[in-house]
Amino acid sequence: MLVFDQVDYYYRSRNPVLRQLSFEIRQGEFLSIIGGNGSGKSTLAKLMNGLLQPREGQVMLDHLNTRTPDDLGKIREQAGLVFQNPDNQFITTSVLDEVIFGLENLRVPRADMAGRANMALQAVHMEDYAEAMPHQLSGGQKQRVAVAAVVAMEPSIIIFDEATSMLDPQGRRDILELMNSLHRQGKTIIQITHHMDEILSSDRVLLLSRGEIAFDGSPSALFSSVSITEHQLSPPFAVRLHQALGLKAPLRADWKETVSALWATS
Amino acid sequence: MGYELNDVSVKLNGVEILQSVSCTLQEGKWISVIGHTGAGKSTFAKVMKGLVPFYRGEYTHDRQPLPRDSKGNMKAVPQIGYVFQYPEQQLFATTVYRELAFALTVKGESPGKVEAAVKTVMEQLGLPADLLQEKPFQLSGGLKRLVAVASVLITEPELLILDEPTAGLDSVHRTALLKQLQVWQREKNRTVLLISHQLEEVADYSDEVMVFQKGHLLAHLEANELFLKCADLLEQAGLPLPEPVQLLRLIEGISGRTLTPASCREEDIMQLVRNVWQSRGLHHEG
Repeated sequence: MLVFDQVDYYYRSRNPVLRQLSFEIRQGEFLSIIGGNGSGKSTLAKLMNGLLQPREGQVMLDHLNTRTPDDLGKIREQAGLVFQNPDNQFITTSVLDEVIFGLENLRVPRADMAGRANMALQAVHMEDYAEAMPHQLSGGQKQRVAVAAVVAMEPSIIIFDEATSMLDPQGRRDILELMNSLHRQGKTIIQITHHMDEILSSDRVLLLSRGEIAFDGSPSALFSSVSITEHQLSPPFAVRLHQALGLKAPLRADWKETVSALWATS
Repeated sequence: MGYELNDVSVKLNGVEILQSVSCTLQEGKWISVIGHTGAGKSTFAKVMKGLVPFYRGEYTHDRQPLPRDSKGNMKAVPQIGYVFQYPEQQLFATTVYRELAFALTVKGESPGKVEAAVKTVMEQLGLPADLLQEKPFQLSGGLKRLVAVASVLITEPELLILDEPTAGLDSVHRTALLKQLQVWQREKNRTVLLISHQLEEVADYSDEVMVFQKGHLLAHLEANELFLKCADLLEQAGLPLPEPVQLLRLIEGISGRTLTPASCREEDIMQLVRNVWQSRGLHHEG
């Protein structure tokens, strides 16, 4: 379980980014974190795996504390982070080496490394690029490699910080399916996103606003109880369609089935 | 008039990554570039900016060939604004003000004119004035993007190329950016070349759309023509239809009617679908 207990965070300017944030994420949850630009989402992601430490309060992963230097290594093994910009995490000259690099740091036996790395590359459909140079790939391909590097480390929590934002529609679908697949395998998935259609399949949504939690609940409860346009966000197409046609049927990510069923019964 | 490529091909490490591309970017048009990851969109945009050499073909501006050296590199980079995929790659100054002022200052503009231009561009993109003294690197990803766009827009380029400018922006900033760019483009009759994976945005804002697939320019059509009449081309390029067009096709399928919306924009499609929905007796209850 990942626990935020009265966490405050500010950068050098001392303007508060996160204020008195308290919540728990249970093992195996699929959580989406949303909010406008500057609401504190990426700061929150960095606090989760100890890249940043709280100014006040505590972030605990089971019995490990991100403010305890000796715990940081274990926390980062358990909570992998996929960044917005994959260029920020590339350091080697081949895709395969990039995925293997993290495994070397975890002291995975050398005999197991290539197998785990290749499986991770297959999971993101990048196995044909194992020998390619990461910096020569397109933006979407780079992001898939970044996801593979984290998946290979087999963490219990994977945090996707707008990991789909640079991908083409197929790439986005691939990564979303990958998230769902990893979730089904028991991983805790935390995704930060601006794409509201991506949150419909998550268990729970946290809406951040000016560093505080403005909503904590299911996706359907969010769209029925919160005016998200006030938080610099807009509803996904499924919700816009429900509103435009005045549909009373339960909100589902697959709006086509809802429309077809209603038409057939009319 | 405008920028034109004629049979242009690009090789990287012996592999042809752009093949025989011919196109005209007409003045005053909003042209979007779509395609699967690795289809050649960014390479095409970099050729237009003169950042990538081509080994075959010709590049003209207002029918005048742009001079190149023997390796295919441009001798002078065209006066084209370019916003790269990742804004942090082009931010460098210690404050947002200095970042925005840089291009005009090196051109020798007076401090008064620079200050006025900075103020205007901040307003155009809806950025608050108190951001000017902030460090660009400490801004959120979305705000960095807006500052990066502003730093290019301030030079008032004839052709503005944006490589996925809305990725990382929340919807308020995304809509604000696109709407402000549209106002700027129309008022000044400028050309916008937008690379995007967001097909709904492409359908809402574009006059024309270029579809790339495996280094080829598969199609260059008016947006309405492409999205409403040429779905097979999108399928061929491995791209889905925008969700409003998918809705239109679904309603056509289940109603047995051919529907012709005013345009491929979501607003027009939703209006037509709402009318059909209500004519079926499925009245709006909301």
